[in-house]
Amino acid sequence: MANLVARMRRVPSWQFTLAAAMLVLGFVMVAQAGAEPSVVQYTSQQRPPLVETATQLQSQQDGLKAQILQLRAQIESLEASSAGNNTLATSLNQQLQQARLAAGLVDLQGPGVVVQLEDSTQPIPPGGAPGDYLVGASDLLAVVNELWLDGAEAIAVNGERITATSGMTDIGSSILLNGTYLQPPYQIVAIGPSDLYARLTSSANFERFLKARVEGYGIGLGAGSLSKAVVPAYAGTVALDYAGALPSSPAPAPTPTHSGG
Amino acid sequence: MRSPRAQWTIAFVALVLGFLAIVQLRAQAGGVGLANLSEPDLTTLIASLNQRNTQLAAEVSTLESQARALQQARDQGVSAVGGLRADLAGIRLWAGLDPVTGSGVVVECAGPITADEANELLNDLRLAGAEALAVGSVRVVNATVVAGPPGALSVENVALPSPFLVSAIGNSINLTASLTRVGGIVSQLQVTSPGVQLTVTPADSLVLPATDRSLIPADGQPRL
Repeated sequence: MANLVARMRRVPSWQFTLAAAMLVLGFVMVAQAGAEPSVVQYTSQQRPPLVETATQLQSQQDGLKAQILQLRAQIESLEASSAGNNTLATSLNQQLQQARLAAGLVDLQGPGVVVQLEDSTQPIPPGGAPGDYLVGASDLLAVVNELWLDGAEAIAVNGERITATSGMTDIGSSILLNGTYLQPPYQIVAIGPSDLYARLTSSANFERFLKARVEGYGIGLGAGSLSKAVVPAYAGTVALDYAGALPSSPAPAPTPTHSGG
Repeated sequence: MRSPRAQWTIAFVALVLGFLAIVQLRAQAGGVGLANLSEPDLTTLIASLNQRNTQLAAEVSTLESQARALQQARDQGVSAVGGLRADLAGIRLWAGLDPVTGSGVVVECAGPITADEANELLNDLRLAGAEALAVGSVRVVNATVVAGPPGALSVENVALPSPFLVSAIGNSINLTASLTRVGGIVSQLQVTSPGVQLTVTPADSLVLPATDRSLIPADGQPRL
């Protein structure tokens, strides 16, 4: 025994290090070889240029959104400084601040909730649809709509502010919101009353969602209340090409009417 | 002292290990990345991104003009009240704070349509480019959600009649095509909810009211 220990002590320490490294290498190589691809591999020659184009467009989009935010800040500052002693301008500026808040053009913080959704890691049974095991736009909408019903004032998904014109749709295994490509995990952040979390989790719609999607397909769900939720400003377009103001003659508030068609 | 050969061996092993570790990590992290989208999905994504980027670029252009005009007014000591008014009117209109008019479509929703289906219709109209929406006589903003059981739907505590109308201002051709396309919501509901009938009609001159909701957050504060 002492002989063995003595012999081991004579082996240079780097040989132990090397042996350990080779062992790990062996394990990793086996793991890599045995790893099943999680999605089908597409081998067409068209794909790499398409991926590159999509990546470039995403990057271009990020730049445009940053420019929009920066320009809005600049305009706000110019408008505020133009007031001077002019009471009308001051009043307009105050109204502008309120309008921007109402429109979702301002970063907000306050008490709220975060809900995180992740794709299921359950194995797909034979005959099962892979899409059912992914978080889809309808899943996000189910949670978001319930949050609105429970009193949320502002909601963002992975940093995308939800506005009156925000639409959400599936694209492959990901989601498009506000024309922006989002990937899982999806973080829904909502600002609202301090009991928003309790309202959400005790709602019938949420329980239905838990049962159908979380228990049913293993969609990953985490949720908690936040004392300081942050919902960023909308960084998109507020331009209207078809909708315009009513002619400015004084009229009572109309109900929707339509003519023609 | 370690022999050079041993040092090279160690270096080589470390290199291979590092490489494999990165590949393994990437394989896990990039599970749903762009590289895993099919060709048709990539093509659709590219088309969507292109369309959105065009809109965003137009917005940048508009904002640049606005900023320039304000800067000029300031430099010349001229009143910026006209610019302020225009900016205010535009934001209010988009936000739903004022009534709005324009061409678009009217969707008549008949039969036992569920709240989920009605909300899906609103989402589809937004995706198709609706600039302003109303359900019945209620202006739709981000927080507007149809609720209740089929036959007794309500929106913002206003009961909806049956059938009820959803009005959308926007490009009526695009709105109609999006809803009535193969696989669109009209044909989907024909399969999943046979009693439900959606009828899409273009409309020349819709008038939608302002929202009754208070859109000023009570719990949220501007983040400075």
